[in-house]
Amino acid sequence: MNMLGNIIMTAFTAVFAENIIFSGALGTSTLIIVSRSRKNLLGFGLSVTYITALMSVLTFFLNKALKIDENSYIYAPLVYIIILGAVYIITLLCMWRFAPRMFGRMKKYIHISAFNCAVLGALFLISERCETLGEYFIHGLGIGLGFVLAVYLTAIVYDRLYSEKAPYSFRGYPLLLVYIGILGMAFWGLSGYTLKF
Amino acid sequence: MSNDNNKDNSCKKIILNGLLNKNPILVSGMVIAPVIVLANNFSNAVMLVISFSLITFFTLLVSSFVPKSIVYTIRIILYTLIGALVYVPAVILLKYFMPDGVEALGIFFPLFITNSFIVTRSESMFFRETKGKMLLDIVFCIIGYDAAVLIFAAVREILASGTIGGRMTGMPAFFRVFERPFGGFILLGLFAALFRSILLLVKRVRQK
Repeated sequence: MNMLGNIIMTAFTAVFAENIIFSGALGTSTLIIVSRSRKNLLGFGLSVTYITALMSVLTFFLNKALKIDENSYIYAPLVYIIILGAVYIITLLCMWRFAPRMFGRMKKYIHISAFNCAVLGALFLISERCETLGEYFIHGLGIGLGFVLAVYLTAIVYDRLYSEKAPYSFRGYPLLLVYIGILGMAFWGLSGYTLKF
Repeated sequence: MSNDNNKDNSCKKIILNGLLNKNPILVSGMVIAPVIVLANNFSNAVMLVISFSLITFFTLLVSSFVPKSIVYTIRIILYTLIGALVYVPAVILLKYFMPDGVEALGIFFPLFITNSFIVTRSESMFFRETKGKMLLDIVFCIIGYDAAVLIFAAVREILASGTIGGRMTGMPAFFRVFERPFGGFILLGLFAALFRSILLLVKRVRQK
């Protein structure tokens, strides 16, 4: 029961209370780029979730090796990028071989879903906060789902944010920032404490 | 003569785009995360622009030598790998000269490796323009970003804590809400709207 409670709390924290966009702003630029293109936003969010969850598991094993050296902070990002690159290529090859239609739809933007601040930032945050493999995975999955939630909440108001009824100065990007800020304030109300970066 | 004029106009356009018309943060919305979270005081902002400029400039400079013949999938990995390699001397150097500043940046320092500016700029510019124009574009985009971040952080610090660079400004009231990330989002949104209004005003005046 205690374990189930921990899992629920970890997932809730990662998705809502410490949402990667609304609380940490990580991946906001990616969200803006993707929301402008308006192509398969949900698919994009899910591919970020898949990469974050998978990478969080791999990071658990990587960190065990990296923690031996106290200067590993210098080259840890390089190691993460190499593994991320390998995951990205293997994923593309698998999609090309087993799901060619999906590959055709996603090949134009899957690189943005792998190489962005949300994924790399998630790995650093998880490394700081989690200890067990289960925590790494749940937190990674939660961060990815939190990103999907942010993408969804942006997609549903996209037409209004970019509507011609909005004043020209605020239309689009400025209004999107204000909107994310207001949502961030609401999400912050769920936690009521400051993130330790 | 006409070629020289075209060349001058093209360079002027690149400079103005980087600084104003396509300012990375106030217009294009690139590399926002560290600004929202960290640029709530001027000293953090100084550290942020130094580290961003170092990593972004050298990463894009080296990335410009990646040949187009390499498959796009691999090119993207190479850009971020170059970023991660540039990060190594950058963190050693800054840790030596400004250890507290590096601590203040926290996880955002290594995150510059995958900043959206590197990923999008490397593909959109490198294969369309000459090396000279590309370098000009990178330099002025970075200057545009740095200037916007420093001004934004100064205003945010004044509004949030009534200080500038830690010194009291004598503000009668201040709003702690702007120190938080959501306050940063709202303030940056207002900045972007104001900036767009100014650009529009200038355009109208020039047309008249």
